[in-house]
Amino acid sequence: MRRLQQTITSSTLKRRSSLCPPTVRVVDTATAGLSSVVEQPRPQQYLILPHRRYSSTAAASRLPNDFLSILKSKHPDLKISLNKYDLDSHGHGESHHPLSPPDAVLYPSSVEEIQDILRLCCREVYREGDSDIPNVEIVSVIPYGAGTSLEGHLNFLLPQDDSDVNNNDIIEIPSSLFESNSSSGGSQLLKNEKKKVRIKRKGGISLDMCNFQSIGEVTPGDGFVKVGAGVTRNSLNGALRHTGMQFMIDPGADATLGGMTACGASGTAAVKYLTMRENVLSLTAVLPPRTISTAANDDTASRSKPMVVTCGSNSFKNSAGYNLPALFIGSEGTLGIITDVTVKIYPIPSNVIAASCAFDDLHTAAEAVTTIRMLGIPISRIELLDEISIRAFNQSVKKDELKPMMEEKATLFLEFSGHSESSVKADLSAAQAICVDDFQGSNFEAATDETTRSKLWAARHKLYYSSIALRGGGDNGGATSQSTIVTDVCVPLSKFADIISATAKDLRDMNVFGTCFGHAGDGNFHCILPLRQDDTYEYKENVFKVIDFMTERALSAGGTCTGEHGVGKKCSNVSLHLLQCNI
Amino acid sequence: MRKILVPIKRVIDYAQKIRVDSSKGGVQLKNVKMSMNPFCEIAVEEAIQLKEKNKGAEVVAISVGPKQCTETIRTALAMGADRGIHIETKPDVRGDYIDLQPWAIANLLKGIVEKEDGVDLVLLGKQSIDSDCGQTGPLLAGLLNAPQATFAANIERDDDGSFTVERETDTGTETIKLNASGKPAIITCDLRLNTPRYPTMPNIMKAKKKPVETISLEDMVKDLGLDLDEVLTPKNEVVEVYEPPPRKEGETVGSVDELLSKLREKGLVA
Repeated sequence: MRRLQQTITSSTLKRRSSLCPPTVRVVDTATAGLSSVVEQPRPQQYLILPHRRYSSTAAASRLPNDFLSILKSKHPDLKISLNKYDLDSHGHGESHHPLSPPDAVLYPSSVEEIQDILRLCCREVYREGDSDIPNVEIVSVIPYGAGTSLEGHLNFLLPQDDSDVNNNDIIEIPSSLFESNSSSGGSQLLKNEKKKVRIKRKGGISLDMCNFQSIGEVTPGDGFVKVGAGVTRNSLNGALRHTGMQFMIDPGADATLGGMTACGASGTAAVKYLTMRENVLSLTAVLPPRTISTAANDDTASRSKPMVVTCGSNSFKNSAGYNLPALFIGSEGTLGIITDVTVKIYPIPSNVIAASCAFDDLHTAAEAVTTIRMLGIPISRIELLDEISIRAFNQSVKKDELKPMMEEKATLFLEFSGHSESSVKADLSAAQAICVDDFQGSNFEAATDETTRSKLWAARHKLYYSSIALRGGGDNGGATSQSTIVTDVCVPLSKFADIISATAKDLRDMNVFGTCFGHAGDGNFHCILPLRQDDTYEYKENVFKVIDFMTERALSAGGTCTGEHGVGKKCSNVSLHLLQCNI
Repeated sequence: MRKILVPIKRVIDYAQKIRVDSSKGGVQLKNVKMSMNPFCEIAVEEAIQLKEKNKGAEVVAISVGPKQCTETIRTALAMGADRGIHIETKPDVRGDYIDLQPWAIANLLKGIVEKEDGVDLVLLGKQSIDSDCGQTGPLLAGLLNAPQATFAANIERDDDGSFTVERETDTGTETIKLNASGKPAIITCDLRLNTPRYPTMPNIMKAKKKPVETISLEDMVKDLGLDLDEVLTPKNEVVEVYEPPPRKEGETVGSVDELLSKLREKGLVA
């Protein structure tokens, strides 16, 4: 029996409160559910969804006064934007988290520029009137790819009222961290010398990686390609269109390879091609500086110059020591700025068949998926949509006579692909037998040509926006993509059916609108929860209850609170649980 | 259907950043990724789809340019074309508009159409992305005295050998029927016509074995009885190539009233 207790400090409370109600919970993992729950009263701030995508007034820059001037003198070609629209667009992704812009957007084109930028982000500064205790001024850095984050990675959420800036607490940190220390690092550590400082947070900058656009040559026979971090997956696949190979990870959005690596992306194709963890062979990243530089430090060969590391190997197997690329995958920008990645590419399959099948209830459909997987039937995509999702689709095509409406039942969408037509057809038949004979599936349809395949999968492709549209509420204050919460849990396959149907039942019992859909073959499912301006306090509280219950069931089952979206600004107690392992 | 000819052009890849080579008075072609013109890809795709609907039809890909054009032809073969003809130019001849222009290409193609015999259809891209002329198709039709339809968004072949083409116009879609006339139909392809397939590995490997006839430009010109100077000397002279001036940053205004006053200041609004 494991018990987890999480207390939230007051500053975390302030920062997190706008997103998720802080709670103190005791989770009993012996039973798949909740035991005793202690909740603190939820502050009102988080309930002001939907958020706007623009700020009404430009905030004053919080950066150190000399930050941009030093950069401009060192790198006159480096593009820097202080334009309010650029700042706003770099202050959010595609989630419900409130817009929180940086103080500047930088567009580096080289590793050297990034090194110099990072070095300026952590400096020792002596302010007038205090020659004894320096400030360590820290500028937050968030690398920006395509802005498709679903978990608020790009929202700076730095204290707007500078509560940390006014914080005058003196703390002690090892002197060896400082560039200014003349003695060698080794002897410092042995003596355990400390230095008194005040930590000051000085705003944040967005590093837009759009200039890292290189796409390497593909040698025939090799199954990989090296791309710059700013290359989007669609432009990579466009560049590969005549090689017979494609980058197969499909998270839906047209994300950059740097962002996909940093957040450990996957998607609908993970059933066959796995996730970024298994598809990144090597990468190059600029690490944060090893030491705190002095404010006027111009020496480029100094110890504080950030290292550039290239790790991994372009061979499919590598047993040489620590798996360093694996550290970066999913690190979400906390370990360094990724500048290029070498990813695996695969041959385009010669034969593809798509299929769909309706089931009487969600649980049965999920069980069919588990059986298909356990029998080892090769499958390249398998997605499960609940009946609310189908209702959303039907609503969206009601006026379109060309697209037929579907039966409002839980539906499986399958795809089979492979080299030989006969083996793909055999896989299809085997899956069909399971769905129809063993699990009473109905209306099993299959298609080979691309047009019919798209039609068959239309409900799955249009799911996100049709769900928001079904929630509706009109143009003013109705549900939008900025007011929609998308959750993401992943559990062992044997527990998948129970957990997804329990969540669907919660939605019905608590009268919360949400569509459940999943990458069923991986045990990963999402809940789309659109919110409206006119939703009551109780309704929104119930929405967060559904999310909490879903997450706790997933954790109790030995799963995770994020299968593919990353942690980002997720509720702190859950993510800390994962990081702290057994306590 | 017997033969479909698809002339294709090797151009700078659409995703590449173009740099002006000011010393040479053109764009920089060295060390730049080249690929098949996107509208030519659409033409090849349409030819393959027609071939799949009409068993027995042969698709021939044709390209004029330096020796690397053979790779471009191989891409067409990987998509499903049956054979290729590469008219190879000397290394000092640029493959783009400065040296090779539509009039010369149209004359070469006319000769090939007549030599091939049994050509029912010539499918071309509506324009190339380096010159944006859009002239080769119509010039070819004029030289051959053949029926043409440009900017095709949909092509249907009827049993009597005629083609019904929906074409894009500024005000909407126009439907034209090209009657079977003994001359090949000349159709240029626009964006909405289809989505070109990405060839699979087995097809790429099969393409390596398909026949590609390479013939030098000089020999082809002699074969067809044309005048080499007439073909090689461009009808239009490129006077200057320069990059557009960099965009200036705009002004942010605080209200509609401020916008109006600024527009009036600049004399853009009365």
